[in-house]
Amino acid sequence: MTRTIHLSLDINGKQHELDVEPRVTLLDALRESLALTGTKKGCDQGQCGACTCHVDGKRVLSCLTLAAQVEGRQITTIEGIAAEGGDLHPVQAAFIENDAFQCGYCTPGQIMSAVACIREGHAGSEEEIREYMSGNLCRCGAYNSIVAAVREAAEMAATGVAAKDKAEVA
Amino acid sequence: MTIMETRKHGDAADGMVGGRFSRLDGKLKTTGGATYALEQPVKNLVHAVLVQSTIAAGRVVAVDAGKAKAAPGVLSVFTPEDDLGLLVASDWFGNRPDNQPFHPLPREVSFNGQAIAAVVAETLEQATEAAKLVKVSYEETQPVTGLDDPNAGEGRLVDMLSVGWGDAEAAYAAADIRIEAEYRTPREYHVPIEPHGLTVKWEGDFLTVWEPSQWTHGMARTYAEWFNIPADNVRIVSPFIGGGFGSKAMGYTYSAVAAAAARKLGRPVKLAVTRPQTFTAYGGRAATRQTIRIGATKDGVLQAIVHRGASETSVLADFPEQTGAATPLLYAVPNLSTQHRLVPVNTVTPGALRAPGKNPSAFGLESAIEELSYAIGMDPLELRLRNYADHDYQSGKPWSTRQLREALTVGAEVFGWSKRSHEPRSMRDGRQLVGWGIGCGTFPVLKAASEALIRILGDGSVEVVSGAIDMGQGTYTILAQTAAEVLGVPAEQVDVKLGDSSLPGATVAGGSMLAGAITGAVHKAATAARDELIGLALNDSNSPFRDTGANTLVIADGRISVPRGEGPSLTLAELMSAIGRDRIETQRNTLPEGANGPEDHKRSWTTMANIEGPTAGDLSMHSWCAHFVEVKVDEDFGTVRVSRVVSAFDCGRIYNPKLAESQWRGGIIMGIGQALLEEGLIDERFGRVINNNMGDYLVPTNADIPHIQVISVGIPDHDASVLGGKGVGEVGIVGVAPAIANAVFHATGKRVRDLPITLEKLI
Repeated sequence: MTRTIHLSLDINGKQHELDVEPRVTLLDALRESLALTGTKKGCDQGQCGACTCHVDGKRVLSCLTLAAQVEGRQITTIEGIAAEGGDLHPVQAAFIENDAFQCGYCTPGQIMSAVACIREGHAGSEEEIREYMSGNLCRCGAYNSIVAAVREAAEMAATGVAAKDKAEVA
Repeated sequence: MTIMETRKHGDAADGMVGGRFSRLDGKLKTTGGATYALEQPVKNLVHAVLVQSTIAAGRVVAVDAGKAKAAPGVLSVFTPEDDLGLLVASDWFGNRPDNQPFHPLPREVSFNGQAIAAVVAETLEQATEAAKLVKVSYEETQPVTGLDDPNAGEGRLVDMLSVGWGDAEAAYAAADIRIEAEYRTPREYHVPIEPHGLTVKWEGDFLTVWEPSQWTHGMARTYAEWFNIPADNVRIVSPFIGGGFGSKAMGYTYSAVAAAAARKLGRPVKLAVTRPQTFTAYGGRAATRQTIRIGATKDGVLQAIVHRGASETSVLADFPEQTGAATPLLYAVPNLSTQHRLVPVNTVTPGALRAPGKNPSAFGLESAIEELSYAIGMDPLELRLRNYADHDYQSGKPWSTRQLREALTVGAEVFGWSKRSHEPRSMRDGRQLVGWGIGCGTFPVLKAASEALIRILGDGSVEVVSGAIDMGQGTYTILAQTAAEVLGVPAEQVDVKLGDSSLPGATVAGGSMLAGAITGAVHKAATAARDELIGLALNDSNSPFRDTGANTLVIADGRISVPRGEGPSLTLAELMSAIGRDRIETQRNTLPEGANGPEDHKRSWTTMANIEGPTAGDLSMHSWCAHFVEVKVDEDFGTVRVSRVVSAFDCGRIYNPKLAESQWRGGIIMGIGQALLEEGLIDERFGRVINNNMGDYLVPTNADIPHIQVISVGIPDHDASVLGGKGVGEVGIVGVAPAIANAVFHATGKRVRDLPITLEKLI
C-alpha cells in the first residue's frame, strides 16, 4: 500500500485526526476523509473558487493546498462560520435574503470568499466587491445578488446590525 | 429536506403563489448542509477514474493495463476487452432497439476524449495515478474535426425541420431592400460548477444511484434497461443538483461504466468526472452556421426571410441544434423558408444547452433585423414594432398571450432608448465608444403531465412529495407556496421532498416545462387533500364541525372554520387530533382520464413521447422577452464591456418573482458569456478540445457583469398552465448575444457575425 502520514488538523475549532497519503489535498481530506462536504470541488485546478476555505483567517483554495501543509494552522470551512447556537453568519443570512445563489454548489466558496472580502476591507463599493469576488465563479449567474448580499453584510458588519434584525424591521 | 426561515417580503397582495419568498433550501445551501451526489456517506466505497481517448477517430488495438493493475490500491481496470453485459437503452422518446449490446467503453473511437477505460482503486488518488499508467495503442483514421473541415461537406437536410410559406425566394428577389449574411456560433459548454459524476451501490438486483439528475424517472428507466432489470429496482437520488442547464437529464456512458464496475466488484463505486473530462464526457451546444436573407420594402416592411442553417453532430447520433427554431416566430412576414442541415463530425454527441435551437437561431435573426435597420436607416425598435406578428404565421394560430410589444416598449422606456442616436460611432464616453442594441427572445411552452403526493400530518404540517427536481430553479419553494395557498397554511408549515425516482412521477426539468407541470399536479393533489379534510371535518362523528350545519368550511392562516359564521375554529393539528387521524394522503396526477394506467404513467414519467408542443391545441403558446443592452468598447484595444442591461419578460404569471428574476439574470449572464467569452477551441489536427478547463474556456466572472434590470410584463396564461405561468428558465438567454452584437456594431460600426465577439475581431 501507499505510504500514509498521520495528520492532526484544527478545523472549525476541533481537532481531527486522519491518516492520508502525503499527496492528498485539503479539499479531498475534508470531503473524502472527514465528511465535511460543504466545501465543494468544482474544478480541482484552482480556477473556480468553489473549494474556498480559510486558513488562519485568510481565504485559500483547498484544492491547491495539501492537507499536510495546514497542520498546526486554523482551518475554517462553511460548516464553521455560523454561531455556536446555530444562528447564521450575517453573510449566510444576506445570501438567503438576496437570493445570491440558485443551485447552491458555488455558494459555500462564495460565502467563504465574501466573509474574507469584508474582513480584508474590500467591500467598500459594488465595483470593489465585483473585483474581489471574481475568483468565485457562479454559472447560475447570481452575481448581482452576490454583490448585494456582500454589500449588505459589510454594511451590517460596519454598523453592528444583524441581517435578520434588519430584515424583520423592514 | 426541512424548510426553515421562510420569510415573505413585498406586497401582501402578491398572495402566496406570486410572493417573493426566499428559497426554502437556502439554509441548507448556505451552511454546507445540502448534500450533492458525490457527497453521500456510502460505506466501503471505491473510486473509479476514466481514461479518455487521445485520438478522434480509429480503433483501440490494445490496452496495456499491466502497470495500472500493479499500482497500489488498484482493484480493476476496465477496457474495451471487458463485456460489461449491458443493453442499449431507449432514447428520450422511449424508442429502443431489441437486445442490442451496449459497450460504454468501445473499441471504435469516434471522438477525442471518448471514455475507453476506467480504473477502480481504493482511493481517489490511487485511481487517478493508475489511470495515467494505462497505455492504449490505436489504429488511427482521418477525423473530421468540425464544420469547417474540408471533408465535412454540407451535411444532410433534416426534412422535418424545414418550414415555409408563401414564395420566399421570389419575394426576396423582388424586394426593394435585400440583405444577406452568414452568422456562426462555436461549440459552447454547460460548465455547471458541480462536475458530473455519480455514486452507485448494488444490493442484490437493486441499484441505488446518487447522481445529479434533471429527470429522476427518465434516468431510472435508462439504468433499468442497461442492466435488464425491472424499473422499480433502480432508485435515482438527486435532492440537489449543482447546475444542469440541460446536461444532467440522462445517464451517460461513464454512468454505465460506474454502475457496471460496482456490480462486477461487489462494492459501491464513486466516479467523479474531472473538469477537463466534462468537456467530452457529454455534449455541449453544437457549433452552428446560418445564412439569412431578408427582403423588405424601403419603409421596413418585411417581405421575405430565407434561412439556411447547419449544425454539427457526432458520427454516432443526430442532435440538431435547430438554427431555424426562432426564425418563423418573431416577426410578421408573408413569405418564409427555413432549412437546417446536420453535419456529422468526430465530436461527442452534442446536447441540449439552455434554449437549444432558439438561442443560435435568435442570434442570426436578431442580428439580421438590426442589419436591415441600418440598411434602411430606421430605428431598430421601430422596425421591430412595425413588423410585429399579431398571430403565429407558422401555425396560423392565435397567440395564447404575447406581451412582446409591451416588453419592447416598457424595456425601451426604462432603458432610455429614445435618447439613442442611430448612427454607428455616434455615442461615446471618453475613450470608450458606447453602443446600444436590442435582441428579442422566445421559447415555446411545452406541456407535460406529472404526479404529486400531499400529506397532511397529525401536527398540522404538510408534505409535498414528488420525484421532480430542483437544480436551482426554485421547485422546492414554489411547490411549498402552491400547497400552502390551496391548503390555507403558512408556507413555513409545508415541507417538500423531491429528487428521488421512488417518489411520484414527474416530467423532465427541461424545456422550461417542469414548473408548469408540477405546480399543476401539486395544485390538484392539494385541492383533493383539502376537500378530504373538509369532508372529514363535516362528517366525522368526533369533529366539532359536525353539528354546525355548515355545507363547507374554509381554511385560512392555518385554521379551519365555518365561513362567515359563528362556530368552532381549529388549527389543522387540533382538527386532526379531534378526528383521530395522524395523516391524510392524496396522490394525483394530471394525465387525462382514460389514459391513466401503468403504461401511461411509464410513458409520461420516463419518456418525452407525451410532451405537447406549443401549437398542440388551438393556440400558439410561448414565452417572450426583449433585451436592451449598452456596451462600452475601448477604441484602442477593442475590449468590450457590457455596462447596462434592461430586459423585459413575458413569462405569464410569475409564481415567485424573487426566484424568477434570478433565473432571468442567470440566462442573461450566460448570454453575455456566449457573446463575449465562450468558445470551444478545437485542434484541427486531432479534434481535441484544447481549452477544456475553466481557466481557458471562459465563463463570466462577477467583474464581467453589470447590474441587470429585469422586468415582468407578462399576464396570466391559463392555457399554458394551471396556475397561469409560462416557462422562465430558458427564454432569458435567447436574444442576449445578438443584442450585444448589435450594440457592438452601434458602438464601433463593425458587425461581428461569428461568436464570441473578441477584441481581435474589432481592431
